[in-house]
Amino acid sequence: MYLIKQAWLSIIRNKGRNILMGVIIIVIAVAVTITLSIVNSSNKIVKSYEEKYEIQAYISMDRNNLMNSLREDNATQEEMINKFNEIESLIAEEITSYGDSKYIKDYYFSYNLGIDAKDIKEATDSLIKETTETKTEIKKFGGANSNERPSFPGGANPFESKKTTTTKREEIKNIKAEGGAFNLIGYSSVTSMTDFISGTFTIVDGEVFSDFSSSSCVISEELASLNELNVGDTITLVSPKNSKKTYDVKITGIYKENSLSVDDMNNMFTSSANTIITNSHTVGEILGLDSSLKATLNPTYILNDKEDMEAFTNEVKEKGLSEYYTVTNNLEDVSSATESIKNVKTFALTFLLITIIIGVVVLFVLNTINIRERRYEIGVLRTIGMKKSSVIFKFLVELLIVSFISLVVGAGIGSFTSVDVANKLLEQEIKSGENHTDAINENFGKNHEKMDFRNINGSVNVEKIDNIDAIVDFKVIFELLGIGLLITMISSMASCIAIARFSPLTILKERS
Amino acid sequence: MKKREILKLFDVGYRYSDAKEDEYVLRYISYQFATGTIYAIKGKSGSGKTTLLSLISGLEKRYVGNIYYNNQELKKIDLDKYRSHDIGIVFQSYNLLPHLTTFENITLSMDINHSEIKDKKGKVLELLNSVGLRPELSERRILKLSGGEQQRVAIARSLSYNPKLIIADEPTGNLDVETENEIMQIFKRLAHEEDKCVIIVTHSDNVSNQCDKVYELKTKK
Repeated sequence: MYLIKQAWLSIIRNKGRNILMGVIIIVIAVAVTITLSIVNSSNKIVKSYEEKYEIQAYISMDRNNLMNSLREDNATQEEMINKFNEIESLIAEEITSYGDSKYIKDYYFSYNLGIDAKDIKEATDSLIKETTETKTEIKKFGGANSNERPSFPGGANPFESKKTTTTKREEIKNIKAEGGAFNLIGYSSVTSMTDFISGTFTIVDGEVFSDFSSSSCVISEELASLNELNVGDTITLVSPKNSKKTYDVKITGIYKENSLSVDDMNNMFTSSANTIITNSHTVGEILGLDSSLKATLNPTYILNDKEDMEAFTNEVKEKGLSEYYTVTNNLEDVSSATESIKNVKTFALTFLLITIIIGVVVLFVLNTINIRERRYEIGVLRTIGMKKSSVIFKFLVELLIVSFISLVVGAGIGSFTSVDVANKLLEQEIKSGENHTDAINENFGKNHEKMDFRNINGSVNVEKIDNIDAIVDFKVIFELLGIGLLITMISSMASCIAIARFSPLTILKERS
Repeated sequence: MKKREILKLFDVGYRYSDAKEDEYVLRYISYQFATGTIYAIKGKSGSGKTTLLSLISGLEKRYVGNIYYNNQELKKIDLDKYRSHDIGIVFQSYNLLPHLTTFENITLSMDINHSEIKDKKGKVLELLNSVGLRPELSERRILKLSGGEQQRVAIARSLSYNPKLIIADEPTGNLDVETENEIMQIFKRLAHEEDKCVIIVTHSDNVSNQCDKVYELKTKK
């Protein structure tokens, strides 16, 4: 106990020396706190992202594989088309069967169906032949957009994703060139409306229907303008195979396509001009009216855990998925979406390491100077019978008291500072998250403003850090204290060795 | 009071680690020291006075021969405990801690000794009184005291745990003659009235003349 008292007396009676030491430790503590806070908040954001992010699996035709296989067999274009046409589309029962899995949390799907409409002109571009071809493809499968994976905050921009879509369209065009004038897409739920979530489509009038069992639809602004259709009007869809089979749907909204590829720039109409968007209930009803109609199904499965991906893929194959279909996923998107945050974390960890090394070196030098200055004191204490271990303990207690007070002060300053610093560094992620959510709400129209789209298809919000608790928690404090004490201990090694080696006689002789 | 032998040196020799094999600073020293007596160890510069004191006080262990304290071989006992319990050391340069007050310097020795004295304040004032210092100096920082006062504090500190053996290295070397005599009076009282063995290393005739017994160290060739 007297050693602690002696240590305290030594601190308060040698203020200059200890304040200097304290200031250096405070600077190190501030740097370490900020760094730890950044690491901590990065970890939290990545973790929250991974928790909120839905791990999705998609089942789609493995066209590349099939094309390569056919090319190897030197198949003619006609043979290729025939082969594609022979491949059975996925059916609703299959999708339900695959969805009935312990690995699956939820699933949704969209129908693509070629359809005609009574008294409605399709948007055709007579100037450029290529456009007509493109539209033909859209009529049948134009909802290829729905096959796209969503874009992500801080990730790919929508223009890039559109390019992919165009390529797909060309491929699809060659496969099936029959069907109606319009492409009817039926979504099973709001979460499956990836074109609106990704911002490819945006509502310009009205809204996306919120009742997925209603006979409602949204149409493109080109189609609306061409046919003088407005929100609230009803259009009659007609089976392309049997003109007597009709189905009325009400227009609840008008959308526009935002992302235009370079190819599309040559065309008067967007590639989605003839796409009519409705719900799966409506498509189901139409399919019920005319059993000769065949729709393409695009399922999306939401997995419980990313670790389940391989097991789910195997399970689907075991359940009889055709060899011409493949299971893809969005795991790469998850990691690419968090990549920039992880980079910030790596930078912070490197900075932390450098700070610790500098801290150890500076304190080591200071302690060495300190001990050399206090050789006399050590000599006196040893001469009057204080044990080496007690002298070392007294010096360590002094250092620990100074370090602890400085660490607390440093942690306090660092905590306040780190909120701004962390926010600044993570600004890009925060902004893109906020913007993305706002944009999604706008895409769906006014009535969807209050819907929570944050966790849908990768649009995870990185929330702004607005209080210290958010980033400086007990973990950071304990880490700081641990690192601080580690630095103190390592840097005090010089003192301990010096004290152990000092001969009191030599010291006192020098003094005399 | 009956005098008893407290410290014995038997054929003690010492040479520096970097000295030649036969180049001893001290050679074959055999002295005895008893309680109730004040001793002077005299010699010219380089005769090994301070070295001898270092050996007696357990600050230096690399010597030949034997030193016995209360018939126990010094090399075999805990020298930290020996210095904090059995002997009091007084140096020419006082060796007090400047960041502490008089009171704190004295009680530090008590603390190292794990002294069970409850009224430390009273004990310190008693010690200060015994070395001729005013009570108000107890709260004063060491550097605000004169040389003579500091040496008195050093003596008071060495007495704080009531050791039997007091070893002083040129205790009056930095003091004027008047103060020197006052300090010597304290040492004489400690030896003759309190039955302590006081060993003073000195080159001063004034000091050695006031001692009961004088050992003279010859410069070794």
